[in-house]
Amino acid sequence: MINKSVANWVTIIVGSIALLWMIPLVGVVVTSLRPLTQTTLGWWNPDDFSLTLDAWTTVWTKYPLLDAFWVSVKIAGLSTLIPVILAPMAAYAFQFLKFRFRRVLLILIINAFVLPNQVVVIPLFRLWRELGMIDNIWAVIIPFAGMSFAWAVYLVKNYLEDFPKELIEAAMVDGCGPIARFFHVVLPNSITPIAAVAILQFLWTWNGLLLPVVFLRSDIPLTALLARIQGQYESNWDQMSVAAIVTTVVPLVIFVVFQRFFTAGASTKSGSKE
Amino acid sequence: MAQMNFVGAGKSYGTTRVVEKLDLEVEDGSFTVFVGPSGCGKSTLLRMIAGIEEISEGDLLIDGVQMGDATPVERGIAMVFQNYALYPHMSVEKNIGFGLKMANMSKAEIDKRVAQAADILKIEPLLKRKPGQLSGGQRQRVAIGRAIVREPKLFLFDEPLSNLDAELRVEMRVEIAKLHRALAATMIYVTHDQTEAMTLADKIVVLRAGKIEQQGTPVQLYDDPENLFVAGFIGSPRMNFLRGKVKLASDGTASATLAAGGTVDFGAIDPAGWVDGEEISVGIRPEQFHYEGAGDIRLPVNVDVVENMGGAYFIHAQTQSDELVVCERRGGALPAAGDALEVGFNRADLRMFAANGQRLRLRAAQ
Repeated sequence: MINKSVANWVTIIVGSIALLWMIPLVGVVVTSLRPLTQTTLGWWNPDDFSLTLDAWTTVWTKYPLLDAFWVSVKIAGLSTLIPVILAPMAAYAFQFLKFRFRRVLLILIINAFVLPNQVVVIPLFRLWRELGMIDNIWAVIIPFAGMSFAWAVYLVKNYLEDFPKELIEAAMVDGCGPIARFFHVVLPNSITPIAAVAILQFLWTWNGLLLPVVFLRSDIPLTALLARIQGQYESNWDQMSVAAIVTTVVPLVIFVVFQRFFTAGASTKSGSKE
Repeated sequence: MAQMNFVGAGKSYGTTRVVEKLDLEVEDGSFTVFVGPSGCGKSTLLRMIAGIEEISEGDLLIDGVQMGDATPVERGIAMVFQNYALYPHMSVEKNIGFGLKMANMSKAEIDKRVAQAADILKIEPLLKRKPGQLSGGQRQRVAIGRAIVREPKLFLFDEPLSNLDAELRVEMRVEIAKLHRALAATMIYVTHDQTEAMTLADKIVVLRAGKIEQQGTPVQLYDDPENLFVAGFIGSPRMNFLRGKVKLASDGTASATLAAGGTVDFGAIDPAGWVDGEEISVGIRPEQFHYEGAGDIRLPVNVDVVENMGGAYFIHAQTQSDELVVCERRGGALPAAGDALEVGFNRADLRMFAANGQRLRLRAAQ
């Protein structure tokens, strides 16, 4: 039993840390809503306080915010959909099926873990240029999806290691071949790791900057647009704040809505007494 | 209904042998129980029949047809798993009908069969629920229902009652026995619980370390165990073993001096296995002890603990040679811990085993 006053202390400490974490966010919102002249000395500067939507309208009219938003949705959506469909299949095969070179293939795939974006960007750029793929969103989606397999397969396979083997055997006895076993039994009971893969991958690809900036020219996502706003003028903190808010809102909503999947445990209890 | 045969069938993982080459016949319509301690290979054997585990050597015949490489469905088996293995995302109804759906049976036929099975097992009110909302006993019924609807040739049960509490286990045991009678199906049942084996089986197959130690009816195994392991494994509380030293006489009779005191005269023996001067185990079942002067041979013991079961009580006692014995007594005066007691037994009730565990027999005429 935890002492009540201790519990209060915990609340206070955790609350303070949370507040500390919130300050930059508040700052961005305030900066976007105050005239630039008022915030040059810091967004917290109380002198001459007024609110305006100027920055919001400027960004809205001057930059293709909606287009960029749509490009972001396409890139993050497709880059997420591909591993979400394929990674569970691969994980299932590696965990439950027997085939030649299984171990070697798994090690090869998981090895891609160690490859950061920065390493592949130059060779990929030359490849895409050869193929005429520059400024095509697939130039970004393909490496995003491809590089996610390493951890996505690993994450789902790890989950499947605790998957009740008896369920799969029961499906065998019920007449399921290897593919039917995956679709009828394994997939419906692996929502937790698949959701985790989807959320993480969506957040990372939504926030991805390097590959879009290098490979895309006209159809750019929000992050690249944000970089462009930052680059064109000397001091436009208010407009940059607007773009930052627009970019952050989607991941924030996704995280809040789906966060239960990060804490939810395995839900494949088939009925034995634990 | 089906007959099943293993012909020289064995199983190994790499170089590790888990089931030695064995021949086994399961008769049509019988209830056969594989029993043995954990790791004896009984579950592996069942899974070899099911087609979940490959057979490394030898063959499996079902109704005389080679089935060693067939899929579970082709073999016509259904299996009930220890942890029920119900699909958590499907309702009870879907769980039961899943195998039929995979067999492309019509919806109407599936519904009919599921309803029938639910009726037999009295689980109609549960059909729309998910496995997570059921109790252990209910889940076990659903798992059995999933097996019945398939109308299999062969029912396989892998320790189906071991996750249930004691009361429910007895109840389900009776239900399974009834089911066997009602369906007249061939059933193979794996358990480590010798009570389940004794009560359910037409035939028990006792396994140890991947080998068949003995097979036969429950009564055969109980009364006429072929070796020390079977004698000790079948029966609860287990058979008592007293150490003794053999003395062979020139006229073909034998006697043994018990470490616990006294001499047992066996009379004429079947000489196979008997060795003069060798130490043997003399087995006697708890209920074969006699009290208050009855019995051919007397054994003085000191009472350690008395377990009163109501109808009977078990006296846990020590002999003078510090061997532990358990004696069952019905009625009579209840001894107290620390009491000195003299128990008796009859020569005809004894089962003798050589040092290597093999049964030592008396001459058949006896």
